[in-house]
Amino acid sequence: MRTLIFILLVFAVCWFAADCARAAELQVPQNAVAGQPLTIHVAGSGTLYLIGPGQVIKREFKSGSVEIKGEELRNAGRWIAAVEGGNQSQVFWVKPGKPGKLNFLARPSRVPVARKDVISGVAFVFDQYQNMVIEPTPVNFKLSVGEAAGSSKTVTSRAGVAWTTSGSASKAGAAQFVATANDTSVRRVVQQVAADPCERSLRMHVAGRSGNMVTIETDPIRDCSGNPVPDGTIVTFIQTDKTGRSTVDARIKKDIARAELPASDSATVTVAAGVVLGNELHIGGKQ
Amino acid sequence: MKLARILVLICGLALAVSGGVPLLKRIFADTKPSVQLTVKDAQPRDVENVTQTAIERDYTAAWLAISTALANNTLKPLNDNFSGFALDKLTQRVKDQKQQGITTRIIDHGHKVNAIFYSQDGSAIELKDTASIETQVLAGGKIIHSDQAQIHYYAVMTGAEDRWKVRVLESSAE
Repeated sequence: MRTLIFILLVFAVCWFAADCARAAELQVPQNAVAGQPLTIHVAGSGTLYLIGPGQVIKREFKSGSVEIKGEELRNAGRWIAAVEGGNQSQVFWVKPGKPGKLNFLARPSRVPVARKDVISGVAFVFDQYQNMVIEPTPVNFKLSVGEAAGSSKTVTSRAGVAWTTSGSASKAGAAQFVATANDTSVRRVVQQVAADPCERSLRMHVAGRSGNMVTIETDPIRDCSGNPVPDGTIVTFIQTDKTGRSTVDARIKKDIARAELPASDSATVTVAAGVVLGNELHIGGKQ
Repeated sequence: MKLARILVLICGLALAVSGGVPLLKRIFADTKPSVQLTVKDAQPRDVENVTQTAIERDYTAAWLAISTALANNTLKPLNDNFSGFALDKLTQRVKDQKQQGITTRIIDHGHKVNAIFYSQDGSAIELKDTASIETQVLAGGKIIHSDQAQIHYYAVMTGAEDRWKVRVLESSAE
């Protein structure tokens, strides 16, 4: 019985030693980084395949080491090293390099001024070989209009993505939205436009009379932050008198909207732009 | 004598079941990977039910496409389900496989997927996937590597014409 146990023990030790020796024939470092050279030690001779997420490298080798250049090892992730006919293979991991590229999505491209949390920025962090950098990375988001100092926020990416939301400034214009990680910056432009006209700035008056027509025009129309409402915005004039109702849709041109309405003995004119209602005017009789 | 016959019969049945069950599993794994998607951790926006269903469907299709493309060295399944960096990388992988004379057989045992990011405007979603995958690499029809492992993947999907497409697919040791 003792002899049998001894034989079994010897057999197990030999098996373990042989297994270790076989495993040692293919040695791949476990700290590989995309874009950096890699040395693989391999015994015997044959064909070595390195199978990565987005590439396959094949090398004929004779006992010793196989050198993989940095520019060849582009993909981060799970790799397999396998020797054809040698019954040897091993899984190894390649980490992404330093952040070298940002995919930056800024939404929306056009936004009214003075609105809370209306602009969103999302940045995906990649290394120079388009591998997503999963490690937390600080990303700075900066939003500014013209020379004015804007808002700046640093967010640490989580699983390769960092995001922020920001309010629009009170001044209209092209806002520069910049995301920066490491030495890489990406710029997007968010056009901040005037909001709806301000009720107190939507005022109209009689600008003139010719024959049986009355010309009505507004004061310069601005939003509540003082930004001129863009040309082309529709302003509606409605005249009501004993004969009925006349409606004129006019576009703002150089900050002012103008309409010609039929002269009447006694009429009431109202003005509106979108959901904003302006002043009321009585023409023909007493104002 | 009768007892011996019954024993032999039971052994035979056990053998057939033990061989047949994994075979059936593989057949089903090859046809449609199982994807379980959880969306409760998605930020900064909640994932709508319709979106969840669509992501589950399209992520499943993407993995089926990977299996088909790598097993047969064909690009068509990839073009239908991938875009951006993920498409570039997988296309290169298939081209390299073809050039080097290898194929990869993926036996997909399922994915536990967690949505971790869903953009404010609903145009992009990031998933963390714990996939149970068996991989066999064949060179000249002979298996040169075989392993079964749980692998973590990070996937970014974006809305395309009629479906969600995988734009980034990255495996990670963590």
